[in-house]
Amino acid sequence: MSRMTGSKSKSRTRPGARGRSSTLPFALGVGGALAILVGVPAWSRVMTPSDPAAAASDPAAAATPADPWARFNRRAYGFNAVLDKALIGPVARVYKRFTPAPLRKGLGNVISNLREPSTALNALAQGRPRLTARAVTRFVANSTVGVLGVFDVAGRAGLEGQQADFGQTLGRYGVSEGPYLYLPVVGPLTVRDGLGGVVNTLTDPVSLATGGPGTDFATGRLVARGLDARAGADDSLRTIEEGSTDPYATVRSAYLQHRAAVVREATGAAEVLPDFDAPADSPEIPETAAPLPDAEDPAPPATPTDGQP
Amino acid sequence: MAILAVSGLGWGWSRSTTAAAAAQSVPGRPGRDPRAEQFVQTEAQRMLSLLADRGLGRSEKEATFRRVLDQVADFQRITGFVLGKYARVITPAQRQQFNAVFRIYMQGLYQSHLADFRGDRVRVTGSVARAPGDTIVNTVINGGGDGGALPVAWRILGSGGVLKVVDVQAKGVWLAITLQQDFVSTIDNARGDIGVLIDRLQRDNQRLGARGS
Repeated sequence: MSRMTGSKSKSRTRPGARGRSSTLPFALGVGGALAILVGVPAWSRVMTPSDPAAAASDPAAAATPADPWARFNRRAYGFNAVLDKALIGPVARVYKRFTPAPLRKGLGNVISNLREPSTALNALAQGRPRLTARAVTRFVANSTVGVLGVFDVAGRAGLEGQQADFGQTLGRYGVSEGPYLYLPVVGPLTVRDGLGGVVNTLTDPVSLATGGPGTDFATGRLVARGLDARAGADDSLRTIEEGSTDPYATVRSAYLQHRAAVVREATGAAEVLPDFDAPADSPEIPETAAPLPDAEDPAPPATPTDGQP
Repeated sequence: MAILAVSGLGWGWSRSTTAAAAAQSVPGRPGRDPRAEQFVQTEAQRMLSLLADRGLGRSEKEATFRRVLDQVADFQRITGFVLGKYARVITPAQRQQFNAVFRIYMQGLYQSHLADFRGDRVRVTGSVARAPGDTIVNTVINGGGDGGALPVAWRILGSGGVLKVVDVQAKGVWLAITLQQDFVSTIDNARGDIGVLIDRLQRDNQRLGARGS
């Protein structure tokens, strides 16, 4: 699910002036703090998808994601679905429809370019000198020859982009991802990635060089990033809504798998894959299944889309 | 299924900026599997070329694509896998129903998403033989909606000398694994009633089929 941005900043218009903080860093901070206070005890009790014991006990099953806060998470997912349908999705589709593809691509390149310094910082922290050098080279080349990042000249020269973030850095040093968390507006996280996101925001070199998270620039960058991501994910989100029997579980699975792959890029660890031929263990029928927001309907319909009766 | 492109999160056939995931689970240096690589190169390109063939009518194209997919994908293994822990308790009648609706569901899924890359080129970049008869083949598909190159990994299982696809991965997300977690969650939320899942898939197939006609 895209990281939906709902910034309500009312920053001043004077260039460089420090405006009121946008809501996303605040949300991340609150989420991170809550995650620490509540998550650490749960974290220590819950097996994570990367736990080898989980795979070994049932080799036929992809490890069930740790989701001790499923009730809260599902409600947050439902809230985001409503927000997306009412506001964010339509805005993103208008942007996509009326903005020429080259312009959208250029904006996407600028957004990616602004993350290269943070990538370099995290790659350095992870002890990956080649990625560090690549990120620095990409940033310099694209910011100059590439006209402030509009053109990915480094990519065309064979230096493809590869991102690194602090959640990945934590994973690189063995910090377990912790429970899955889905926050209103923010979207899917793990406790580790939530903390990582807060640190990313506070240590981002571009942000620090432009006055910090509370400026007009920061707000604009956040909104642009959210819009670009949401527009790019439009087809994906529609497919998940239409094609999943439990969209929440699909998003959870996709997010956790992706983040595990991101951490493996840093650690070089081998991926544990399930055995398609091993018989699965018999299920324990849950006594209190996690309720869907519309749990009274045992087979809730998919979210209505255009043309659907 | 589509991958969400959010701060690096992707689920689907969108452009990837990360290197292809080389899934391997054996220590040391697992070798390549040229036969699996050739299989993926041939069959994946065949499917993409088929979807780009303007000489075929829609229904003929669909029917041909489904026939090809039946040959290429190991539906029996995939069907058993996606039920997860419920594969042992499903009744024979339910299994028969599930097999039928799931096959249509998967065919629609593959067709709709590979259609984004119709006519594009598949290039095998390597493979990892995890175990005898279990290989991950890494490819790059050039093109797609935004013209970028997408790394895609294919899990190939061999049986009796016959190779088949059991799973596909993009941006670190495996399709069959995600489907398993989706389906198991649905059955869990229905307190173990597999019939709820079957009904949902039947309704989804009808809705998506009606939209396409």
